[in-house]
Amino acid sequence: MTIRPRLTRRAVVAGTGAAVASPWVWTSARAQAGGMIKIGMPLALTGPLGSVGQQQKRGAELYAKLQNEKGGILGRKIELLIEDTVGNPATCVRKAQEMVERYDCRLLTGITLSSEALAIVPKLAEWNAIFISSDNGDGRLTAESFVPNFFRANTSGPMGARVVSLYVKQAKIKSFFALGLDYAWGHNSVQVFEDEMKRLKVNFIGKVFAPTGTKDYSTYITKIRQSGAEGVYLVLAGDDNNAFLAQAAQYQLASKMAMLTEQIELVALRAVGDASVGLIGSARYAFTIDTPANKEFVELWKAEHKTVPDTFEGEQWQCMKVFEAGITKAGGIEADKLRPALEDLTIESVKGKVLMRKCDHQGVQKGFAVKVVKKEGFDHPIPEVISTFPAEQTTPPCNKMTYED
Amino acid sequence: MSTLALLLTQVVNALSQSALLFFLGVGLTLIFGIMRIVNFAHGALYMLGAFVGYSLAHWAGTFWLALVLAPLIVGAVGAAFELGILRRLYRRDASAFLLVTFGLALVVTEAVRLIWGPDALQVPAPKLFSGVVFLLGEPFPAYRLFLVAAGAVMAIAIWQALERTRLGLLIRATSQNAEMVHALGIDVNLVRSGVFGIGCGLAALGGVLAAPLVTASHAMASTVIIDAFVIVIIGGMGSFAGSLIGALLVGFVQVFGNYYLPDFALAFMYLLMLLVLVVRPGGLLGKEA
Amino acid sequence: MRWPRALGLAFVALLIAAPFGLPAFAMTLLTELVILGLFAMSLDLMVGYTRLISFGHVAAYGLGAYASGYMLLNTSLPLPFVVILATLLTGVIAIGVGWVCTLATGVSFAMLTLAFAQLLYAIAFKWTSVTGGSDGLAGIPRRAGPMGLTLLTTKTGFYYFALACLIGSFLLCRKLVASPFGAVLRGIRENEAKTVSLGFNTRLYKIAVVAIAYALGGLAGALYAPFAGFANTELLFWLLSGQVLIMVIVGGSGTLIGPILGAAFFLLLEHQLSSVTEAWALFFGLIFIGFVLFAPEGIWGLATGWVKRREKPLAKVRLRD
Repeated sequence: MTIRPRLTRRAVVAGTGAAVASPWVWTSARAQAGGMIKIGMPLALTGPLGSVGQQQKRGAELYAKLQNEKGGILGRKIELLIEDTVGNPATCVRKAQEMVERYDCRLLTGITLSSEALAIVPKLAEWNAIFISSDNGDGRLTAESFVPNFFRANTSGPMGARVVSLYVKQAKIKSFFALGLDYAWGHNSVQVFEDEMKRLKVNFIGKVFAPTGTKDYSTYITKIRQSGAEGVYLVLAGDDNNAFLAQAAQYQLASKMAMLTEQIELVALRAVGDASVGLIGSARYAFTIDTPANKEFVELWKAEHKTVPDTFEGEQWQCMKVFEAGITKAGGIEADKLRPALEDLTIESVKGKVLMRKCDHQGVQKGFAVKVVKKEGFDHPIPEVISTFPAEQTTPPCNKMTYED
Repeated sequence: MSTLALLLTQVVNALSQSALLFFLGVGLTLIFGIMRIVNFAHGALYMLGAFVGYSLAHWAGTFWLALVLAPLIVGAVGAAFELGILRRLYRRDASAFLLVTFGLALVVTEAVRLIWGPDALQVPAPKLFSGVVFLLGEPFPAYRLFLVAAGAVMAIAIWQALERTRLGLLIRATSQNAEMVHALGIDVNLVRSGVFGIGCGLAALGGVLAAPLVTASHAMASTVIIDAFVIVIIGGMGSFAGSLIGALLVGFVQVFGNYYLPDFALAFMYLLMLLVLVVRPGGLLGKEA
Repeated sequence: MRWPRALGLAFVALLIAAPFGLPAFAMTLLTELVILGLFAMSLDLMVGYTRLISFGHVAAYGLGAYASGYMLLNTSLPLPFVVILATLLTGVIAIGVGWVCTLATGVSFAMLTLAFAQLLYAIAFKWTSVTGGSDGLAGIPRRAGPMGLTLLTTKTGFYYFALACLIGSFLLCRKLVASPFGAVLRGIRENEAKTVSLGFNTRLYKIAVVAIAYALGGLAGALYAPFAGFANTELLFWLLSGQVLIMVIVGGSGTLIGPILGAAFFLLLEHQLSSVTEAWALFFGLIFIGFVLFAPEGIWGLATGWVKRREKPLAKVRLRD
C-alpha cells in the first residue's frame, strides 16, 4: 500500500469526528418565551414498527400544517419535534429527555410502543410534562401504571377486545379458541375476551400465545383447527399479523371457522390482500366511520396524500384535536394548567364524541366492529363498519383493564 | 382431525419450515467454509431478495421470474461487495469482517426502506400452488408442499454440484486448504467472489420463497439472522450436510415443541443449540474445534 | 506510552469538571456514555485480551439491570449496596456460563454465549412476577438509604458515582492485564495450545476472565437501571450484544480505553445522525465500512498513531500491507 490510504483515513477521522464532537448537542437550545407550541414525538420511524411510527408522524404533520395555516393554537404556531427511537425504550427515554431538557418541550405524544410509554410515564412528574397517547394499547397505562400527567386519547387494547366480545353477543358463535402475541397486550386482551365469553356462556376452548417475530404459524394454525372451535379470536399486530393471515388463508382456515381479530389496519390489508377478506374485528379507527368530522378529515387527507388515512393516522389526528381543545381551554401549555383543562374535556372527533374522563384519563369513545370487504375504487380490501358500540359499553371501569358486566 | 392426520400435517409443516431454514443456512455455511467469515448481512440480503422479488413479480406478472432473477441480482450485489471491499481484508482478523458485514447489513436494510417504503408488501403464492392438497382429508397448502420439494431439489442440486462439478471441487479444495489451491495456479480470489455471490443469492432465494408466507417485510432482516446462525452452528460451521441436518432439527423441534409446549417457544432453538454444542463443540458434522 | 497517559489524565480531568460547564441534557448524555463505556470495556477483557468473541454480552448487562432494578423496587437497600450486589450476582452466575461456554472455542463459543443471553431473554419475558414480563420494571428509584448518601441520588451525584465506577473498573482492568494473570490471557490469545503446553489450565483462566468481564458488564447494567429508571427485555436483546461488540472493535480492541471511546462514538453518532436524517442507519453502516478500510486499529489506534507521528516526524510511517 502507498501513502494514499492515510489521506482517506484522515477524511474518515475528520468527518466522523466532526459529526460526533459538533458542539450543538453539548449546548442547550434557547427557549423562545411565548413562541411556538412545541410537541415532542419520539417515534419508531424505522425498525420493525416503522410502519406505525410513520403513520403517527403523517397524522401529526397534516394537523400541524393545517392548524398553522389557520394561525396555530392561541395564536401560537405548532412545532413538532420528531425523533426516531427505532422502537427501543432506551433510545426513547434519551430522545424524550432531550426534548424536555434541551428544547424545553413539555408536551409529548407519539411514543409508538407500550414498552417505551411504560418507561416514560414515571418521569413525567419530574419533567413537568403532559403526555397524550395516540396509540399505546397497554391497559396498565390507565390502571396500575397510571400517573396524573398521562392521558390516553386512543382506544386501548382491552377496549378492542371488548368490542369484539360485544360483536360476538350479536353473532351466534358457540365456541372460541384464542391466539395472542406473547406479551402484555396479547395476554391482557385474551384475558378480557375469555372473561367476556364466560359471562356470555360461550364455550372458551383454549388459548395459545406465540412470541413476536414468529414467522411460521403452521403449528399454531394446526392447533387452532384441531381445537374444533367455531371461531378464533386473534390478538396479533404488524408482521406477525400479516404472516398469520397470509398463512391461515393458505390453510383455508376461514372455511372452518369464523376469524375475529382485535385490530384491523389498512397497512395489513394491503400487505396480505385477498387473504384478509371476510375478516371481522375491531378497528380503533377506520376511514369509513360515518361522522361529519371524519368525512371532513378523510377529504383533507385525500387532498394531501391522494389516499385514505389508516388507523394510527386517524388516532393521531384525534389526539392532536385533544391537545388543541385542552390548550385552548387552559389558555396555555403549562402542565399544571393543562392537566385540569384536559380532565373531563369533551371533543367532537372523527370517532364522534370523546370524553377525557377525570378518573383515569382514558378517552371514553365509541367502539367499531368492521368487516373486511372488497370495494370498487380500491386496489386493496377495506374495512367496512358493521356495528358501532356506545362509549359506555366499550370503556372499562375507572383504573381497570377488565370489565365487570 | 384424526391423530394420524394431525401427525402427518405436523410432519409436513415441519418439513416446509425446515426447507425455508435450509435456504437460509446453506448460503451462510458455504461462505463460512470458504472464507472463514461470519456474514452478518445474511439476513439483510434475505430481506433484499424478498423485496426485489416483489418488484420483479409485479413487473413481470409472474412469481417464477422473480424466483430466478432475484437471487441472481442479489448474488451480483454480494459478489460486487466481495470484489470491492472484502477482498482487501483477507489478511485481517475476524473482527474486521464482523464490522464490515454489520455495516453492509445496516446499509442494505436502510436502502430497502428508502426504495420500497416502511410497509410490508404482498407477494402472492404462484397460481399453480395457490390451492390446497388434501392430506388424509385435511386441507394443506400446495405452496408448502412446493417448498418441501424445492428444498429437496436444491439440497440434491447443491450436493451434486459440490461433488461433481469443477467449481464444486474448487470450493471443497479451497475450504480444505486455500494456499495449496493457490499454489496450483488457481485464482482463489475468484472462487471467493463466486462463493460469496452464490451464498448471497441463496439467501435471496430463501427470501423470495418465504415472501408468500410472511410478506416482504422489514422484520425479515433482523429476526432470521439468528435462526441462520443457529442452524449452521448446530450442523457444524462450513458443513453442507450439517446445514441440512440443522435445518431439519430446528424445524421439527419448533413445530412439535410449539404445539405441545408453546410457553417454551422462545427457548427451544437455544436449548437445542446448547445441548448440541455441549456434546459436540464443533457442531454435529463440524470438525472438533 | 507517556503521551497516551497524559492524554488519558487530561480526559479524566475534563470528565470530572464536566458538571460545572455542561447543560442538563449534555450531562444526561454523558452519564449514559460513561455507563455504556464501562459495558464496552468489560467486553474488551474477553475480546481484546483473550480473543473470546462473545455474541451474548448483553446477558451481563441485562442481568445487572434487572437485579438492581428488582432490589431498588422491592427492598430498602441503598443504591451503592444494590449496585455491588447486582455486580457480584452477575459475576457468580457468569462462572456457570463461562464453565459451559468454554467447552467450545471460536464461533461455537460465541454462539453459546448467545444461547445463554437468549435464554435469559426468554426468562425475563416469562417470569412476569419478578421481571415484569414484556412490560419490564419501570419507575426504578435511586434510593439514598439510611446512611446519608443523598448526594448519589441527584443528577450530578449519580454521574460522579458512575464515573467513579468506570475509572475504578478501568484501573482494576489495567492492573489485571499487566499482571501474570493478564500474561496468561495474552498467551491464550496468541496461541492457546502453547499456553497449555506451558502447564497452564487455560480453561480456568478463561472461566475467570468471563466471570470478571460479566461482573463488570453487570455493574454497567446495574447503573443503567437507576439511571434510566427502567429495565426491560430490550436490555437483553441480541442486537445490543452485536452493538457492544462493534463498539469494542471500532474503539480499538485490546486497549481498554479504546472501547470506552468506541461506545461514546457509537452512541453520539447514532444520536446525532438520527436527529438529522431518518436514513441514519445508511450513513452509520457506511461509516463502519469506512472504519474497517481506513482505520483498522480503531479510534484509539488513530489517536495514539497520530500522537506517535507527531513525536517522531522523521521516522517512516509503517503501514500494514
